[in-house]
Amino acid sequence: MILVMNIIELKGITKTYHIGDMAVDVLKGVDLSVETGELLAIMGESGGGKSTLMNIIGFLDSPSGGAYHFEDQDASHLTDNQLAHIRNQKIGFVFQQFNLLPRLSALDNVSLPLVYRGVERSQRTEIASEMLKRVGMADRMTHRPPELSGGQQQRVAIARALSGKPTIILADEPTGALDSQVSQEIMEIFLKLNQDQKITTVMVTHDPKVGQQCRRTVRMSDGRLAEV
Amino acid sequence: MMPFAEIVREALSSQAAAKQRTILALIGIVIGIGSVIALVTVGQMVQLTSLQQFQQMGTNIITVQRGWGDKGGGNAKQQGPSQHMTWGDAEDLKANVSGLEMVAPYTSTWGQPLYTDRPLDMPVMGVTRSFADINKLEVLKGRFISDLDGYSFFGVLGAGAAQKLAKLGVADPVGKTVFFKKRGFKIVGVLKRTAEGGMRPYEINPGMMIPVRTSYLFKRERNVNEIMARLAPNADRHLVIKAVKRYFKQRHPGMLTQVRSAEQLIAEMAKQSQLFTLLLGAIGSISLLVGGIGVMNVMLVAVTERRKEIGIRRALGAEQIDIQAQFLVESVILCLAGGLIGIALGVGAAYVLSKVNGWIFFVSGWGLALGVGVSSAIGVFFGYFPARQASRLNPILALRDE
Repeated sequence: MILVMNIIELKGITKTYHIGDMAVDVLKGVDLSVETGELLAIMGESGGGKSTLMNIIGFLDSPSGGAYHFEDQDASHLTDNQLAHIRNQKIGFVFQQFNLLPRLSALDNVSLPLVYRGVERSQRTEIASEMLKRVGMADRMTHRPPELSGGQQQRVAIARALSGKPTIILADEPTGALDSQVSQEIMEIFLKLNQDQKITTVMVTHDPKVGQQCRRTVRMSDGRLAEV
Repeated sequence: MMPFAEIVREALSSQAAAKQRTILALIGIVIGIGSVIALVTVGQMVQLTSLQQFQQMGTNIITVQRGWGDKGGGNAKQQGPSQHMTWGDAEDLKANVSGLEMVAPYTSTWGQPLYTDRPLDMPVMGVTRSFADINKLEVLKGRFISDLDGYSFFGVLGAGAAQKLAKLGVADPVGKTVFFKKRGFKIVGVLKRTAEGGMRPYEINPGMMIPVRTSYLFKRERNVNEIMARLAPNADRHLVIKAVKRYFKQRHPGMLTQVRSAEQLIAEMAKQSQLFTLLLGAIGSISLLVGGIGVMNVMLVAVTERRKEIGIRRALGAEQIDIQAQFLVESVILCLAGGLIGIALGVGAAYVLSKVNGWIFFVSGWGLALGVGVSSAIGVFFGYFPARQASRLNPILALRDE
């Protein structure tokens, strides 16, 4: 299919948090389109609403106002189960702190999204080991996260994000906890996945070196987005 | 939703990870289930053991005793010693009450039997030949008292009494002489040990039995302690008991007569053990309640400690019900593990008690099923609230948790 469509279409998205009597407007009308196969970096200072935006895009949170279309379908008002279902089927998360379950082996961590999809164990193992190979962790499958370095853990986390064959990968400061050399290795994985497999990726970062390598960059500031 | 086998696998691995806390939480459940199982099992063993004693003797036995109610006691004082069951009552009983096959009255005589000059501390009973039949006594050596023994000074020893003599160095008491009331009794027989309990007089094993007529040589009145009787086949128990009461009412107006049948005793025992089981069940329930609250506490701590894990799972697509099922299954597995350990300990304790007390060891499947069922139910009941709390966590806040 050569058809290029917008996976994500945000129009006037607002998010207001209520802390006691105080209302805090974190997002003040965000417009954003993400096309299939894009590699987008969202940059900006901390506290600018980047993570909130990522949570809304990733169906972990719902917007207070505005319209969210995901794959051309209105996704503004969904039930908790529907949100869980979309997260499981469509989204691959990569977090700054890796967020692997320390008790599980790398293989089981990568399998976890498939567990909630009801995929059989043998098939899960097959997919998970394939994903671990893809991020260069074929020789560490039975290791548990505490036995792995930060860079290795992030590779496992990327494999986990890939295992569900998601529509989009959302990476929130994926290199934020890594030194610059390892950061570059992780960045290359994202670039390679995007180039070779056309995996759509949205990445939040405050690191300009990371931002520069993405094909498109937007800047978030005071609850609004601007193209760079 | 996640397949059930996966939930169980996850639960097992989480429990294994928190070993120390798991063990602490289990103690309450172990004690609760363990005590309930031990006590219920002991109750059942005691019941079974005494039932078997009854069965050995036959359930067609009745015993007749003077009652000790206010009425009987008062009248006895007023009317003197005639208000006792007498030898004559016993002799005429069979002719006057139909449905009795065999009657065995016996007497007790106070005093200290001696071997040479050593006190033997054994009860002495005056018996007839029928006493052995009704009580199903078996002779180990020599013979039992015969009705032809008349007023002779013969004695038959119970198994316990023979043991006492053996300690004094008398390996074979048959032919030896035991002194009682300054008279020498020649031992003519030794009995095998009989099972205690049921309708049998307790004096059989530790005592010496002498001819009933001989026992009257030491008494002013020809009274009997108790009359044991065996019903004829096909006799109606209720009618016989009524007739026996009527018979004694005619002969001793004002004397209270207590007639007990084996079936009645069994029913009484069943009632008693029911009460016992209920009481112990209540005690067990309290420990289970305490244990359950302990489990709930542990699960609440687990939910708090694993907020991050819950957040990660939710981000990867777990529904609320998946999280709830995960923690609920953990709670049930926790309680079930405690329950199984408790069952093992309870059965072990019951086994030791049965060996010490000579009860028949017996564990009912019903009791075990109850233990397993109750512990799972506690897991569900006390795990429900923490599990629900876990499932309702906001995924974003949970993820942000460090």
